[in-house]
Amino acid sequence: MTAPAAAPPSPPEGLVTTARGPGLRARARRGRLGIVAAVLLLGLVAMLVIGARPGDYVPLSTENSTPTGTRALAQILRAHGVEVRQVDRLARSAVRDPAATTVVIAHASLLTGGQLRSLVDYPGDLVLLGESGDALAALGIEATEEPVLLPETVEAGCADPDALAAGTARVDVLGLEPTGGTAELCFTQRSGLAAFARADDGARTVTAIASAELLTNAGLDSAGHAALAIRSIGAHPEAVWYVADGFDPSLLTWVGSGGGEVPTEVEATPDFLPPGTGTALYALALAVLVAAFWRARRFGALVREPLPVEVRASEATRGRARLYRRARATGRSAASLRAAAALRMGRRLGVGRADGRDALLGAVARATGRAETDVDRLLYGPPPADDAALLSLISELDALESEVHRP
Amino acid sequence: MHITGWTVALAALGAVPAALTQSRTVAWAWVIGVVVLALVDVWLAPPTHAVGVRREASGSVRLTQSTATRLTVANVGRRRARGAVRDAWQPSAGASGDRHAFALAPGETATFRTMLRPTRRGDRHAGPVTVRTFGPLRLAGRQRSLEAPARLRVLPEFASRRHLPSRLVRLREIDGRTAVRLKGAGAEFDSLRDYVIGDDVRSIDWRGTARRGEVVVRTYRPERDRRVVIALDSARLSAARVGDAPRLDASIEAALLLAALASHAGDRVQATAFDRAEQARAASTGSRIVATLADALAAVEPSLLEPDWPALVRLVESRVSQRSLVVLLTTVDTSAMDSGMLEAVAALQRRHQVLVGSVEDPELGELMAGRADADAVYDAGAASRAMLEREAVATRLRQLGAEVVLALPDDLAPAVCDRYLALKAAGRL
Repeated sequence: MTAPAAAPPSPPEGLVTTARGPGLRARARRGRLGIVAAVLLLGLVAMLVIGARPGDYVPLSTENSTPTGTRALAQILRAHGVEVRQVDRLARSAVRDPAATTVVIAHASLLTGGQLRSLVDYPGDLVLLGESGDALAALGIEATEEPVLLPETVEAGCADPDALAAGTARVDVLGLEPTGGTAELCFTQRSGLAAFARADDGARTVTAIASAELLTNAGLDSAGHAALAIRSIGAHPEAVWYVADGFDPSLLTWVGSGGGEVPTEVEATPDFLPPGTGTALYALALAVLVAAFWRARRFGALVREPLPVEVRASEATRGRARLYRRARATGRSAASLRAAAALRMGRRLGVGRADGRDALLGAVARATGRAETDVDRLLYGPPPADDAALLSLISELDALESEVHRP
Repeated sequence: MHITGWTVALAALGAVPAALTQSRTVAWAWVIGVVVLALVDVWLAPPTHAVGVRREASGSVRLTQSTATRLTVANVGRRRARGAVRDAWQPSAGASGDRHAFALAPGETATFRTMLRPTRRGDRHAGPVTVRTFGPLRLAGRQRSLEAPARLRVLPEFASRRHLPSRLVRLREIDGRTAVRLKGAGAEFDSLRDYVIGDDVRSIDWRGTARRGEVVVRTYRPERDRRVVIALDSARLSAARVGDAPRLDASIEAALLLAALASHAGDRVQATAFDRAEQARAASTGSRIVATLADALAAVEPSLLEPDWPALVRLVESRVSQRSLVVLLTTVDTSAMDSGMLEAVAALQRRHQVLVGSVEDPELGELMAGRADADAVYDAGAASRAMLEREAVATRLRQLGAEVVLALPDDLAPAVCDRYLALKAAGRL
């Protein structure tokens, strides 16, 4: 007798396994229509995402074609051969030749201190549009900004060639009030607020157009606005346009600002955390996505539980009690309680329902030693008129019943 | 397919190179690399059809007790398989520790035990068995659910069985098998014995006395081999909750205790659960009836239907040909007036003895005793009205000759048994 040496253990009976599924190719053939539909849908979604770029509604943006935008000005400048380039981060300006470039900053009051310092260090021409705040003083224009209460169109009233060429301009919304210094203010209206200021320190000029409405699509074609704007911004073959938004801490970059080449965007962004924290968090966020896939895949489906009916047996009685309460049904409640008490006492004393009222009254009177009329009043008296009468009747009835049940 | 926590850990580790290079491209490249590794791992993982499972038949268990179910996992593939299985059950089956890891060589099998502690009576069904296999890197694997049907029958708790010993003692007393002799027990002639002082002179057997020359008396014993038909109402009213269980559960307890007692007394017990139609049926002799009945009643669930009383009468008449005790475990309620219950009891009472058992709601007693304020007194009034209406129905049933037992859920089983013993002692079966 030799036992088979290496007989493989036979699998147990009644084993459940999954059927071997069809191969990838077979599955693809079967689901051909689905795959085509999915690809088409994906293409459609991609087209919609790419095609539906949100419109630009940022005031003073060169992409904005609404009355508050400056797209008209940008197009006119381009027609005059000026390359207008709008950047959404200051660090992306990367000015190649500061001597041949005008940097336009809209809403400079939103710039951080570091950004202002980079503007001060910048060797080329600057144009400030709209509210500029601290940037004015930092860049050599000694003036404060005040709201214009009486808008009016005024003559240049200064020696600046651009302003003289424009002739007239409208002082509106915001004006400049001089506080001394050498900057030249133009288009000064009666209350002393100027629409335009220019400071020239020999190496570069800094122009501030406080009444920026005159550059917008709405205001460009009136008075001498177009001439003033084109001469102020189009003085050099290139214009870098930046609308400050307060969420961008990066610095202005130009050739030489980092000591040689144009610094990269990362270098021009000041750090608050150790370098690399942002990218580490980014990588961790990707890991969280992976974790979502890990947790989302259940280890098998939930098993259904048929739930039983949950109805309390006392619900009908409670509903009837609410009806009694709402109707203040003192008579009906008292009658029920009296009948129940009579039933219990009758059982205790051996008096059946069929024996009648007098038999019960006599038995209860004998058991308690009370007068029969008293028992009669409690068990068969008139219904109580209100809640107080009901309560006192029930307490008396309880007392009577306890006397009957006393051993 | 599925991925493991290791994949997530490895993806999170990508934060280090991303921070060192300060490049999002590196972060993306790392995560995509990890995902590709996981996909490769899925591709390398043993296929799920290489793993077979088998569930052992689970049998039955009494409610509140725990049992174990066995799951056999076999590797029928050609490669070593490493993975995990989930032995899914319904939540009310109370499965604990239903996930098992395995590592099997080709042809090898392993058996796992999942503890079940059911929380509800009835048939508890198993869900699918989910099999996961892991790839060699343990990053990801394949997953598939297998239908391996299994059922665990959860029997009623039969908590009322603690009342059985005391009722059996009473039964033996009536039966005459104890030293204490009860007067007038039973109606069936048993034997003759010598007269002793204290015996009822009416039981003296004069013919025997004349033959023997000594005074002898006849002794009686309760009838045996009577028929007991237990009918449980599983219709609308049995679904209502009394305490935290439906009325039907109290009825089942009463049916089980009565069946146990009656089978000890030598009676033949059969039971039926009905609403519009018969839901369960059990008939057996001897001590097996309790097990049979528990198994039959385990799966009965209350239905939200009106009971068909005439059909019950026809059912009982077709099952028993001789006089029997018909125990109706139902709800005595005003709806009995128009649902045909009274007519059914009257029809059954003509040929049989009917015992109606009904579960009282303890909450009604609490409501009836409420005296705190006017609202509580209105509650008490409504509860009293309900009690009076029920008493009126019970009185009507008694007038028809039926025995009526109204008891709280925990007291119903012993109360029905006591009434049965009383009927037996009086020879009314």
